[in-house]
Amino acid sequence: MNRAWRCTCLLMFVGPFALVAQTPNSADMTETIKALLARIDRLEKRVADLEGTAAPAHVEAPAVTASIAQPTTPSPQPPPGSHDDHLAATEAAQGTPQSPLLKLSGFSDIDFSATDQHGTKSGFNEGQFTLHMASALAPKVTVFSEFTMTARTDAGTGSPPAAGFNAEVERIVIRYDQSDYFKVSFGRFHTPINWWNTAFHHGAWLQTTAARPEMVQFGGRFIPVHFVGGLIEGAVPAGGLHLNYNVAVGNGRGSIISRAGDAGDINNNRAWLVNLFVKPDRLFGLQAGASLYRDKIGVGSRNFDEWISSGHLVWAKENPEFIAEFANVNHTETGRLGSFNSQAYYVQFGYRLPEFGQRWKPYYRWEYIHIPSSDPVFIGVQDLAGSTLGMRYDISTFSAFKLEYRNQRRPGLPRINGIFAQTSFTF
Amino acid sequence: MQRLHARFAAALLAGAFLLLFPASRAATADGDIAVVVHPGVPVSALTFAEVRKLLFGDRQYWTPDLRVTLVMRAPVAREREIVLRTIYQMTEAQFRQYWISKVFRAEAAGGPRIVYSNDEATGLVGALPGSVSFMDFTQVPKGLKVLRVDGHLPGEPGYRLH
Repeated sequence: MNRAWRCTCLLMFVGPFALVAQTPNSADMTETIKALLARIDRLEKRVADLEGTAAPAHVEAPAVTASIAQPTTPSPQPPPGSHDDHLAATEAAQGTPQSPLLKLSGFSDIDFSATDQHGTKSGFNEGQFTLHMASALAPKVTVFSEFTMTARTDAGTGSPPAAGFNAEVERIVIRYDQSDYFKVSFGRFHTPINWWNTAFHHGAWLQTTAARPEMVQFGGRFIPVHFVGGLIEGAVPAGGLHLNYNVAVGNGRGSIISRAGDAGDINNNRAWLVNLFVKPDRLFGLQAGASLYRDKIGVGSRNFDEWISSGHLVWAKENPEFIAEFANVNHTETGRLGSFNSQAYYVQFGYRLPEFGQRWKPYYRWEYIHIPSSDPVFIGVQDLAGSTLGMRYDISTFSAFKLEYRNQRRPGLPRINGIFAQTSFTF
Repeated sequence: MQRLHARFAAALLAGAFLLLFPASRAATADGDIAVVVHPGVPVSALTFAEVRKLLFGDRQYWTPDLRVTLVMRAPVAREREIVLRTIYQMTEAQFRQYWISKVFRAEAAGGPRIVYSNDEATGLVGALPGSVSFMDFTQVPKGLKVLRVDGHLPGEPGYRLH
């Protein structure tokens, strides 16, 4: 194991330098492009002067005027007529095609892991292969989708099943925008009761760390990661607080509580949630919020009321980056007294170093999960106290290497140490 | 000798004056980046925070019937450098990652429209209802609407986009 991860570490750290060493001197190129752009601007200004359309250098800023000087494309002022006419004109002006135009982007990662956990093997494994699709059906109607292929040991055919890929429609959302204040969506979402869950989705390249916090792991049971239903969202200025809201109604957890009710609800009680967060104008980069989630779930023949309350505090810049989240999950069996409360939280720090082209970003995360052993809904979900210490290196604008050391402790089990490496990218 | 001393003292005074009172750029629009919008946009002034919301895609509508279309200069252009430095406070890589994640979060259907010259920006802003762009104030042609930011126009003291 030691030899394997030493080789990987070597590859992870030497590789970037080797690639950087091959990069041509981009500073000269940049200066040349700058000079060319400046020349284009000077020529444009001269053309405009010759055509007599340019404003004098010290002119008062123009107020609203009726015409545009020599636009390169016809001015699509809204024509008089019905709202439909206006909408059609706007769509034409904004380049809405005759048929939906699909924008496709991909994300994936290749991972290596080596731990001292008894019974595990070190080695490489494919991360999720993710395709993200977006299509504007009209200026105010948009479809978003996320599709993944996940390598699993049991996803193939045969008996015992061979290894293969498990395909999943992670998200499919159609959204109607009325305005910034009011947007309505229907589909399969990542449940907006947690910051990480709606910030990073399945693209490992987008997140600083190699893996998600345990409380929001895909396939995990602590919070419902997916949600099938309808969502209303929007944002209001609120005196500079920039208050955002999400209100959703849906199927909630399925019969297997780590799954959403994709094929229908398991009962006649809809789950609902309210999520509020602010992004104050005065503290650019700060986001703070809280949410409440309610569902009725079934485990075997027993029914439980589930309340999830959570909060987050995020400093979204990278110098430094700070993310902290907390969630409490309350389960009460229907018709019985007494309830079970489980808590999970994590705190993550990161800092993009200003040196070396701002490519290096060290980070640390502490996470904690406590589950009462008597909670019948979370049987099998283990407590956790763990640390993750790592370094992210952005090899290019669209790809990164990450190397992590993780230390995890679970009750009654030996402490686990592990080295995890990942290269993640978008394409 | 005395004349030499007097000249030296005058030069020293002049140097000190220049150090204490550098040529004020506030009196001129040179270097200021104007926020220009389509003439049909029903707004003539924004706060700096509101400009930031526009650029971050947090505000996507001027009115319920008028969508904001961001028009940005391609990388290396001075206008883009200033917008990234003063408003986004991001590097070029961070800016690209921001918009990829914004679309990935289903918060926007796409990123800003990219143009390769101020002429192209002018044409697009003039043609697209709701569009907004950033260009050197001395190059703003007649007919485009320039927004006040925090009550200031480019060239006025207190204007922040430069």
